[in-house]
Amino acid sequence: MEIGSGVRIGPFEVFAPLQPAVSIVRHYGEHHFPGRLIVVEGIDGSGKSTQLSLLHKWLESKGYGVVFSEWNSSPLVKDTTKHGKKKKLLTPATFSLIHSTDFADRTERSILPLLKAGAVVLCDRYVYTAFARDVARGMDRDWVRELYGFAVKPAIAFYFRVPLETAIHRLLDGRDGFKFYEAGMDLNLADDSVESFRLFQGRILSEYEKMIPEFGLTVVDATLPIEIQQMQVRQIVKAHLDKAKELRVQA
Amino acid sequence: MRETYGRLLPEMRLGDLAGKLIVIEGTDGAGRSTQIDLLKPWLEELGHAVVDTGMTRSPLAGEGIRRAKEGNNLGRVTQALFYATDFVDRLENEIVPALRAGFIVLTDRYIYSLMARAIVRGMDPRWIRSIYSVALKPDAVFYLRLGIDQLLPRVVFSRGFDYWESGMDLYPGHDTFDSFCSYQSALLTEFDRLSAEFNFQMVDAATDARTVCAHLQQNILQLLERDARKNFMSRLYNDSTTAPQPALQEKTQERERAAKPADTALFAVASPVAAPSTNGNGNGNGHHHAAHPGQ
Repeated sequence: MEIGSGVRIGPFEVFAPLQPAVSIVRHYGEHHFPGRLIVVEGIDGSGKSTQLSLLHKWLESKGYGVVFSEWNSSPLVKDTTKHGKKKKLLTPATFSLIHSTDFADRTERSILPLLKAGAVVLCDRYVYTAFARDVARGMDRDWVRELYGFAVKPAIAFYFRVPLETAIHRLLDGRDGFKFYEAGMDLNLADDSVESFRLFQGRILSEYEKMIPEFGLTVVDATLPIEIQQMQVRQIVKAHLDKAKELRVQA
Repeated sequence: MRETYGRLLPEMRLGDLAGKLIVIEGTDGAGRSTQIDLLKPWLEELGHAVVDTGMTRSPLAGEGIRRAKEGNNLGRVTQALFYATDFVDRLENEIVPALRAGFIVLTDRYIYSLMARAIVRGMDPRWIRSIYSVALKPDAVFYLRLGIDQLLPRVVFSRGFDYWESGMDLYPGHDTFDSFCSYQSALLTEFDRLSAEFNFQMVDAATDARTVCAHLQQNILQLLERDARKNFMSRLYNDSTTAPQPALQEKTQERERAAKPADTALFAVASPVAAPSTNGNGNGNGHHHAAHPGQ
């Protein structure tokens, strides 16, 4: 593999063309760490978090050292993000950058060291969330991908595919509206938060669809019963982890 | 028209950014803020509206960065991106609106310091350049250059060694002095490299602040006069569509007083053309008559 030739090789062996020798970021994408990174993606209401939590319990019961990391949860950065959202200070560009900062902190301090230590790391949302949302907000597609050039390539990236109306129905069941940035209200697509959510998430869905071949996302039909989806997920994960038996911490 | 380093942020219009973007770069302790404190009142006296900005001053990320730097757990990639967030917040909400309103923006550091810091910390130079490809190209970058030998006494005998200025996150094995020297030398090397690539105007920062300031003032005046001349030329050809702008004219006259005698003649011609409705007739300017055949 010609890392550093400046030519993009394959669909993201590394996340960006990176340079040899000087770079500490260069190793991130093409890792051969003992651990395994598994991520779930999909729009809000796709049921991905439910599936990940079920997978988490199952992996633990099988004796794996499992660690969970959530989007937008860095202790160092999340207060700034919260502040920006509350005061509506965020533009598409700073929205993108502050989320990449949060992700960088989790990568440097948690995801990367844990993978080196041999953990199974489960991420609820990963760089694909940023690619989908930021591009839906009008950011340059390549710029956002290069921004996340330091990210570790996941072993499996599940995409929970669900029609927009199903997701909205699930989400509105428990509450009567959406948050400002969640609904893409910063883009002035519509005055009504539900209508804005619909338009904004529609854009996000079409970005996800494009990313399925680009990054080789593993598609799960998120309209199926929860049990069926979980069975499929476990099957795929099992096939992958059987090749890495040394990961188990208990018999 | 103003340009970026290759990529455009959403809704960033470049067409009407009439102000001037002037960057003061240099390593820690080179006297950047002293110079900005001297330049700002001087420019205002000449009639220019001035905004000054600098690192971690954004309402979005400034406080977060300061808090993060108090601890011992700010990673290198995170640090680079936190600063990028701060920069872009100020670019979109401070620098661009000020330029659009015709202000002179004086910025204490710009993307170059941020790139140098990140590269010295092992980031891929192409990665960091890609992030800052959305930045505006400035009208001038003054690089206050100070060798490590001159920098040391300034730091030792004023504020002492700072954790981050000493790059202690990079060279934790050394004491502050050793790591300060290693870190600042590495930064200087990187700055010198960037200087060639981005056309910095090198200023010897080892001399006293007044001398440095006089040098900067001279270069800034030239920049503003070049701009005034360009304005004049475009007015000459488009004066039938351009309305006179009293505010600008005042500025020009102020500048005229500060300018060298050789340039004064140019402004004497420039003034009547800038207000064609009152002075346009009978001044013997051939171009002018051609542009207004009816007069």
